[in-house]
Amino acid sequence: MTQAETLKPLKTWSHLAARRRKPSEYEIVSTNLHYSTDNPDAPFELDPNFPMAQWFKRYRNACPLKHGDWDAYRDPDEIVYRTYNMLQDGQETYVYGLFNQFSERGHDALLDRNWATSLARLYTPARYLFHALQMGSAYLAQIAPASTISNCAVYQSADALRWLTHTAYRTRELAKTFDDVGFGREERRIWEQDTVWQGFRKLIEMALVAWDWGECFTAMNLVVRPAIEEAVLRGLSEAGRHNGDTLLGMLCDAQLADAQRHRRWAGALVQMALGEDGNRAVLEGWVAKWQPLADTAIDAYGAALPEAPGLDVRARNAVREFHQSIGL
Amino acid sequence: MALLERAEWYDIARATNWTPTYVTDSELFPDVMSGAQGVSAEKWEVYDEPYKTSYPEYVRVQREKDAGAYSVKAALERSRMFENADPGWLSILKSHYGAIALGEYAAMSAEARMARFGRAPGMRNMATFGMLDENRHAQLQLYFPHEHCPKDRQFDWAHKAYHSNEWGAIAARHAFDDLFLARSATDIAVMLTFAFETGFTNMQFLGLAADAAETGDFTFSSLISSIQTDESRHAQIGGPALQVLITNGRKAEAQKLVDMAIARAWRIFSLLTGPAMDYYTPLEHRKQSFKEFMQEWIVGQFERSLIDLGLDLPWYWDKMIAEFEYQHHAYHLGVWFWRPTVWWNPAAGMTPDCRDWLEEKYPGWNDTFGKCWDVIIDNLLAGKPELTLPETLPIVCNMNQLPICAIPGKGWNVQDYPLDYNGRSYHFNSEIDRWIFQQDPVRYRDHMTVVDRFLAGQIQPANLAGALLYMDLAPGEIGSDAHQYAWVEAYRNTPRNKRIA
Repeated sequence: MTQAETLKPLKTWSHLAARRRKPSEYEIVSTNLHYSTDNPDAPFELDPNFPMAQWFKRYRNACPLKHGDWDAYRDPDEIVYRTYNMLQDGQETYVYGLFNQFSERGHDALLDRNWATSLARLYTPARYLFHALQMGSAYLAQIAPASTISNCAVYQSADALRWLTHTAYRTRELAKTFDDVGFGREERRIWEQDTVWQGFRKLIEMALVAWDWGECFTAMNLVVRPAIEEAVLRGLSEAGRHNGDTLLGMLCDAQLADAQRHRRWAGALVQMALGEDGNRAVLEGWVAKWQPLADTAIDAYGAALPEAPGLDVRARNAVREFHQSIGL
Repeated sequence: MALLERAEWYDIARATNWTPTYVTDSELFPDVMSGAQGVSAEKWEVYDEPYKTSYPEYVRVQREKDAGAYSVKAALERSRMFENADPGWLSILKSHYGAIALGEYAAMSAEARMARFGRAPGMRNMATFGMLDENRHAQLQLYFPHEHCPKDRQFDWAHKAYHSNEWGAIAARHAFDDLFLARSATDIAVMLTFAFETGFTNMQFLGLAADAAETGDFTFSSLISSIQTDESRHAQIGGPALQVLITNGRKAEAQKLVDMAIARAWRIFSLLTGPAMDYYTPLEHRKQSFKEFMQEWIVGQFERSLIDLGLDLPWYWDKMIAEFEYQHHAYHLGVWFWRPTVWWNPAAGMTPDCRDWLEEKYPGWNDTFGKCWDVIIDNLLAGKPELTLPETLPIVCNMNQLPICAIPGKGWNVQDYPLDYNGRSYHFNSEIDRWIFQQDPVRYRDHMTVVDRFLAGQIQPANLAGALLYMDLAPGEIGSDAHQYAWVEAYRNTPRNKRIA
């Protein structure tokens, strides 16, 4: 570039201007926002090698999953902040409408006591699991190599807080009808000690310390989340309907709508990664590493669900079908 | 209604700490990311956020806020604000968006760190909303300037600045990386949310919102007022974290984080907000001087919140207050003089009336900074604008990345505060900047200022043209006087002694 050349105003950001297509609002506000990826030797405008810089060089920049331009990633749903709130405010209006209607009908008083005991063991302790998902996505948000990936993780983390919040709400509400089965009191002990949860607890604790961003994404989005969705959410939904708990079925189904969105963006990222040589082996290696832990978790949980025969097998198969559907 | 009140179930939603056994606690919360200062998880669990909200409330309220901000923008799109505004105001918009938009996105990553590595469940939940908030602020402050791109290439820098080696962008990255992006969850709670957001963003957002409304830019005014409502909520993440630290015998550590954060925030604001309030905003629209604003918001209000929490005033408090008198005047003079190296057009703010205002607000201004402007004015009147442009680079502070500068003329107090560390000589703008370096030299030691890079031969050719190339600034983007020197004419037939009457 010579000094004589005077740059003219552009219709959009210079980094988007070379393309002919008019950028969407999503592209204007979501693309190329991480500046810490610009200099691979020094993630921050500080010493290149102090401990936090080393963390990002090791776990983000040196990831075995490689792509020349992660910033080219696009969320297939093109969610932006304001559309996220519109979408989820509508979804929450639906869910709290359910809570209201079912409460007015005296839903919980009609539940069988045995089923309530099952809920205290198999449903309300899930708030720990959902919170761990919230934490895991928050990690991906800060370690992902492109803002378009981080944004998906941000909204996914918020969705997990949504599930946690629903669970806390129902925990309290169930405790009003069944005050002697441990609702609101025993969840931590059950999460930490009951065999039914130990598979998932082991899986999520280990996935939370998968620091490499690619492995974090693979473990959490391709293995842990699908396993939870198929065994816990779908399992509870099904078992609920067979135990007169229509509300739980509808609630879990509403949460699964979030999960479908998560799978769309995760699938698009896998598709992008598979376009580069070498990434297939990396992704399949990670899936092979994490899937056995997930299978163990599914089996332990599924076997304990009343009125959900064969759920463990169906859940494991559904996770594998998801992998096949995204090319793995 | 048969819905439960939030208070009935809120505590259950923040009872989410458990004892890990398949990995260790220190693996799950490594110190580099958590920074819990040795305070155990159980002791963090007393953390109680003063501002409580929940997921359904959040998405409803935020949807409504966005509907407000975007509809004001849509309604005023044909208002010709851009065409009618004073060029100084447009410069404020350009510098603000360039310095803030991607910084907000970095703050999103910092909130994400608290959401993952914070030791208190309430802190992790609040930080999840904080992460969403900062996502919003980055998106709003990209979407709003984007509409101006077809009119003015400098607006491209709303997105581009942080990706460049422009010196102001280097300074902003250094400050924000050190304040939050490259900090642990606990450090972030103290430095970003408590020190920076409680103390300083109030000033940038409320102060500029008032100036924007005065200037008639209602889109910007409503935008940043809306942003500030989020800030004032998630800024409250820091207070209870400080209480936990202080209660558990970590007051000295907490105090140090607060002291470093305030010092760093003060510098970046004296560069960004000081010139905007005292020079760029047209005289008739100024509500308060920058010094008055600092005294009200930092000395008056923030001082009280420090004391209320059981902290002390930073050791350098009086030194910093003394800098309110001059530091931003020095930065303004530097930015105007090195104007080809910024992505906006600095407004001199130098009409005779402006000078009277400056002398009134800052007694002695004419005898100090005014002397430098006298020379600039004489050169412009003599038809020698080339003498008002830079040929060399200044000495840059190894902490704040800004020129080492203070009071010129009568009352000269410019001084280098040097330090030798591991065989390298460092230079600082003040004792405060040097003190920050000394607290944790490992964070800073091998960083090179833009002048270090120049001297190391990384910037070629080694002249202003090479520097502009390195900063990714080309004609069409580089700054020039906002009013194309029109203000100088007021001095053409005015004797010098009347100039400073």
